Amino acid sequence: MDVKEKILIIVFYGASILSAAITLIILGFMVVLSFPIFSEGLFFNILTKPWSPDQGLFGLGPIIVGTLCIALLALIISFPVSLGCSFFVGILNPKGLGRHFKKFVELMTAIPTVIYGFVGIFLLVPLVREIFLKGSGLCILSASIMLAILISPTMILFFVQSFKTVPQNYLNAVDALGGNIAQKFFYVILPNTRKGIMTGIILSFGRAVGDTLIALMISGNSVAFPGSVLDSARTLTAQIALLIAADFESIEFKTLFVCGICLYIITSSGVLMARYSTKKKRHHI
Amino acid sequence: MKPNIKMCTKNLDFYYNKFQALYNISLDFHECKATALIGPSGCGKSTYLKCLNRMNDLIPKTKVIGEVKLNNEIIYDSSLDVVSLRRKVGMVFQKPNPFPKTIFENVAYGPKINGLKNKAKLTEIVEKSLKQAAIWDEVKDRLNQNALELSGGQQQRLCIARALAVNPEVLLMDEPASALDPIATQKIEELIEKLKSKLTIIIVTHNMQQASRVSDRTAFFYMGKLIEVNDTDTLFTNPALKQTEDYITGRFG
Repeated sequence: MDVKEKILIIVFYGASILSAAITLIILGFMVVLSFPIFSEGLFFNILTKPWSPDQGLFGLGPIIVGTLCIALLALIISFPVSLGCSFFVGILNPKGLGRHFKKFVELMTAIPTVIYGFVGIFLLVPLVREIFLKGSGLCILSASIMLAILISPTMILFFVQSFKTVPQNYLNAVDALGGNIAQKFFYVILPNTRKGIMTGIILSFGRAVGDTLIALMISGNSVAFPGSVLDSARTLTAQIALLIAADFESIEFKTLFVCGICLYIITSSGVLMARYSTKKKRHHI
Repeated sequence: MKPNIKMCTKNLDFYYNKFQALYNISLDFHECKATALIGPSGCGKSTYLKCLNRMNDLIPKTKVIGEVKLNNEIIYDSSLDVVSLRRKVGMVFQKPNPFPKTIFENVAYGPKINGLKNKAKLTEIVEKSLKQAAIWDEVKDRLNQNALELSGGQQQRLCIARALAVNPEVLLMDEPASALDPIATQKIEELIEKLKSKLTIIIVTHNMQQASRVSDRTAFFYMGKLIEVNDTDTLFTNPALKQTEDYITGRFG
């Protein structure tokens, strides 16, 4: 092995170790900085008490619930719509229209989230307010709908990509048996793309959980436990963005890192769950 | 006795975009007989086969001119339902392509998409089709096993069973044995021999011995044109044209 090759290997090894390490380093960093909270026995309080810094209560429970509600609802809204879109783009593709449609979807990924937030405030929030005649319209539902729009391109592009991986063989077989396009979709395409679809969902979920601006602008940012989708709620990301604590030593400031850890756990458990579920089912497809 | 014509084409032209792949093909297929389509690679025989169940419709920018008839009805008619056509004209591909599902599911798929839900009836059809395809004895104890675990030859017979399960009147076979070993090939050929008592078979093959063994009639294609068609015995022993003779004696192609 000559020197060049050795250097290459070291560089590539280094790069992969570095990128793998960064995720762990970030976690470690957050754990260390939020450590006083765990050591002072405040951890339980953080999960159960409400958020009221003036009274010395730093509960993140409502915020965690708010985050999950908004992200999951966004996923529930976005998934069927995205699946339908990707079916249209990747399979029906009438007169090659799908290709143009896909370009629009790709373009959507380039729109900054603040624009979605703006559109949400001026179009969606008043609409939700008028339809449900309750509250200000700044609520979980509005934020979820907007987030659903934000994450749909990720899902659509992933789904379309995975539809392409279905072997032509199988598609031919369905055609030759006189299967229509819907039968082809449900019987052959969906079961064979379970993994790709799952990956699309995880990535979108991560995006929905991690997005800051839309929730910040539209969800109303109340710190109470939400009772319905028309209630206002605050997400972990918004909490980090909103919190202005000048004293770096205060508990309030340290809870920021707990927020970070929670976000970390939510998204990684999503990934782990999805991995587990695709692994288990692979033999049956 | 005049044979019953199950399927026929008249003056069939076929285009991929601007490239003309088939020229003026007129050919009859006799009921309950096997017809072999032979010719060198790229001569259009597979393309022709796919015109017969409109599989070419799925390829963009293709064009068909001329007539294709099944039971004396034109199949390239806008009022005709392609789905019901394909249920009457089944197809088996060059490479075995079972679904990555159980053996049972594979065979039951066709009847299922036809709306059959009765489990007992499905089981009956699956058994009958697998028997017809001469694979029942090999798989009857493992119908719930994944079809991809079967050998290539078994997979191909499974695909034939899958095609048979919807009771087709015509079976198109696109080089069904070219990816198989000699023993598996022999089984497929025996199967064709058996099946043609009930249905019309049209088989594309590269293998001239195979054509002479399994078919009653043979059509020789060259460069998108139908050169000669006749009873298999006659075509192989006493071809009318020099070009056919050259091909079957291995002088070219």
